[in-house]
Amino acid sequence: MLLLLGVRVVGAQPPEQPQAPEPLDKRFTITGRVIDALGRPVRNAKVAIEGTDGSVKTDREGRYRITAPLGATIIVEADGYNPGLATIAGLNVDDIVMLTIAQTTETIEVSGEAPAEAPGAAQLDRQELQRVPGTGGDIVRALTVMPGVVNLQIPLGYSGVVIRGSSPQDSKVLIDDFEVPVLFHNIGFRAITPAETIATLDFIPGGFDVAYGRATSGIVKLETRAGSDDRSTQAEVSFIDGGLVAQGPTGKTKYMFALRRSTIDFILPSLIPDSVDLSLTTVPRYWDSQLRIDHELSSKWKLTFSTLGTDDTFELFATKNEDADEKRFFNRTRFLRTTAAARWSDGPWSAKLAISNLLQEFTFEIGRYQYIRTRFAAVTPRVEVTRTAKQAAGLTDVTWRTGAELQVGRYGIDLALPVEPREGEPMPEFDPEDTSERFNDSIWTPDAAAWTVVQANLDKRIRATTGVRTELFGRGEELSIQPRGELQVKLDKAWTARFASGGYRRPPQYQSELLTKSLGAERSWQNILGVQYEPREGARVQASVYYNDRTALITRNDDGSLGNSGRGYTYGGELLGTYRGGPWFAWLTYSYSTSRRVDQPGMEERLFTFDQPHSMNAAVSWKRGKWTLGGRWQLYSGLPYTPPIGSVFDSDRNIYVPIYGQPNAERAPMHHQLDLRVDRSWKWGPVEMTGFIDVQNVYLNDSIVTYFYSYDYSQRSAFRSLPIIPSLGLRGVL
Amino acid sequence: MRLAIFVIAVIAAGCDADLDPPWELDHDRIIAVRATPVGIVDGERSELDALLSAKDGTTFEQAPLAAQVISPMSLVGALVNDSGKWIVNMPPAAALAVARMELKLAPDAPVPLQVGVGYLVNGVELAALKTVWLGKSVQNPLLAEMVIDGESLDAKTELVVPMLTDVRFSVAAIPDDDVNWLTNVGEMHDFDLPESYLRVEPDEDKLEGELALVKRDREGGVVWRVWPIRVE
Repeated sequence: MLLLLGVRVVGAQPPEQPQAPEPLDKRFTITGRVIDALGRPVRNAKVAIEGTDGSVKTDREGRYRITAPLGATIIVEADGYNPGLATIAGLNVDDIVMLTIAQTTETIEVSGEAPAEAPGAAQLDRQELQRVPGTGGDIVRALTVMPGVVNLQIPLGYSGVVIRGSSPQDSKVLIDDFEVPVLFHNIGFRAITPAETIATLDFIPGGFDVAYGRATSGIVKLETRAGSDDRSTQAEVSFIDGGLVAQGPTGKTKYMFALRRSTIDFILPSLIPDSVDLSLTTVPRYWDSQLRIDHELSSKWKLTFSTLGTDDTFELFATKNEDADEKRFFNRTRFLRTTAAARWSDGPWSAKLAISNLLQEFTFEIGRYQYIRTRFAAVTPRVEVTRTAKQAAGLTDVTWRTGAELQVGRYGIDLALPVEPREGEPMPEFDPEDTSERFNDSIWTPDAAAWTVVQANLDKRIRATTGVRTELFGRGEELSIQPRGELQVKLDKAWTARFASGGYRRPPQYQSELLTKSLGAERSWQNILGVQYEPREGARVQASVYYNDRTALITRNDDGSLGNSGRGYTYGGELLGTYRGGPWFAWLTYSYSTSRRVDQPGMEERLFTFDQPHSMNAAVSWKRGKWTLGGRWQLYSGLPYTPPIGSVFDSDRNIYVPIYGQPNAERAPMHHQLDLRVDRSWKWGPVEMTGFIDVQNVYLNDSIVTYFYSYDYSQRSAFRSLPIIPSLGLRGVL
Repeated sequence: MRLAIFVIAVIAAGCDADLDPPWELDHDRIIAVRATPVGIVDGERSELDALLSAKDGTTFEQAPLAAQVISPMSLVGALVNDSGKWIVNMPPAAALAVARMELKLAPDAPVPLQVGVGYLVNGVELAALKTVWLGKSVQNPLLAEMVIDGESLDAKTELVVPMLTDVRFSVAAIPDDDVNWLTNVGEMHDFDLPESYLRVEPDEDKLEGELALVKRDREGGVVWRVWPIRVE
């Protein structure tokens, strides 16, 4: 068990905690965001305080920062919109939603939060990410509060998120619209980007827009934060990692730079007892960095340049004898994504142009014979044009978007490994000399996509979205057409019903899938029906039911080759209730799902490996004066597993070969835990201090996560959840 | 990647340690199956036996209670029971030719005869696979340069080791050899390397037992030796 004790030192950053009662006329720096009814930022909106002369403009993300006393009224004006009003109740004002003149005359009212991107979708901003108890302010952990996310105490798959019980590779994580190969570091399971550099996290478990593809389940969208209006530098260090965040303006340019390095590698060797047969020749360590530069070229053109990079490495010997290379494990995972983007707007027209480059390297070496070394380089140009019109072809508030992207990638793969298990196949015996899968060559993956979508109000209550995404997966020479659409019906002022349906594809791009050129893309057809209830500003309840039909799943044929013979389906329901108001932030989710598949025609139906029928999260945070208190309770089903029922000893290889029962026939027990967090701020000389304690699993529930088996599979031992993880931190603000 | 995560998770969190380690002799198991010799040519025969251990901490050699040919099925008749001993006889050339066709081997390639053997230890049914090569002569390896703390193990009939000391063992081996040191006294470190060490802590409840050394080579050959061991 690791005790996470962190110390943070922050310089020249505006305080985030409200102070104890102050004189009513005292002015504070107030921040907030202005968005339209579709949740998109409203740029260049004029933000003023009622009764004063000064004003500021919103940035490209719709964000503003203005000085005002508590209780004052904010007035927002923007071309094409009715004025927006908000009362300042704290240092962070809730999103101000601007309605077009057409919207207000047609009585489709949207107030409070921006609408979810799809039925069942949810959004957290940076402050909320940092407030959710039990997450330690980390993005990967924050994802576990989302409805539909398969919950476990360690991140799952490559991206760290598994959605609606499918396979990890069926969902994508996008940062600023482009995919990242991994979301978390191997050590500490920390996200590759600190929450301080993130503006918003959008979780879309299904029914996502035609602008996104290459996934058959859901997507997680992270939007990085532009540099702030004030120059600031922040430094923090903990027992896990330490880093710097610097941001600010220089003329019409804003910058944000973050650099972080693990610190646990300095501590880890002292935590390992001498009696353990282990040599950490390269102690697990990581770096990550983010750079974002925003430049306003003119009132019509805005440019962004960003980079995101990580580097994880470790080398260990499962012995103290460092000459025993048969016991060596080495891993290095690193990538660098570089993106240049431009946004243009002129009246009803706007466009986003971007080109992104990804360089990725993954090396894993086990013992003397087994290894995989892959290098991947890809370039992705992308363009999207948007045209809005108040009226067109008898429809109102029309938005038309069309775009295209090209993703040309080249993999260099050199591997000598055992045949990997597919979804649901249990782990085979570990034979360090098994290199039955060998490959050493390069693979090109020239993929292209184009999409178009129209959104419009059909009448005063109904808004329709219809679009199509066309994708060409060059390696398999497969062209796919994926129609997608959504209907939103405003039932009354508080109730909205939504129905989304559409087709999705996921190209073969994981592990040995790349080695088989004839493989086709996996497919899903998603149907989602949701209702949304907003009884008052800041309060929202949304419920959805869904059915995902999965076809062409990549499975192993009888001869050991890969094919697209699998079928599967997932159905379930999700409930999300949120409240953001005054000192309260509350979050309640419950998910039910069933996810089953058939690997080959005629075979028995079985559960997906990440089938999790029940998952519940209840979190609440209260902020008043110098104190912020929060708690989170979670309950979720254990995951299925395939039990070994015996073994045969292969004497020549000196290995026990397991004999397994029915795939995923048993399930780990249900887990529940309570996490608590307390923050307190105070003044220490000129420094605004904030201390916090975040304790996970406070009532020490050490339920079973999974089982480990002895070398001959005759005994098993439970791998239990960590009983308690306290995290302490201290922050100073100059 | 998953393995990397697993390694780090185990380092960070640990797991219940109530599984018998692979070097533990107090466990009902087949330690190694031996064919003597492991490869035969015309006119030769090979005998099967095994080194086993039981939960009460004793090791013993025994012929299989049951055995059958797993592959190739055309050579089922090559395995016979001869007065309680399981014997592989070299089949005639014509039968080998059929077996090569069955296994899609080259016309002059040695034929791997895979045999399944069964044992009963403390009421537990144990099964193992063993390959006997037909068409090439292969002998089991020898144990050489066996050393305990600088002294030769060859002539020792009993090992006496001190407590709270790393008692070092070594045996001659090439990189492709598979070496196992097994015991039921103390804790064996690097049990699967040619150079290993044993350490006995004061709280050890067993101060007398056995130490077994098993060496396998690339050809399927196996050799073992077992010593009584005592802690002083």
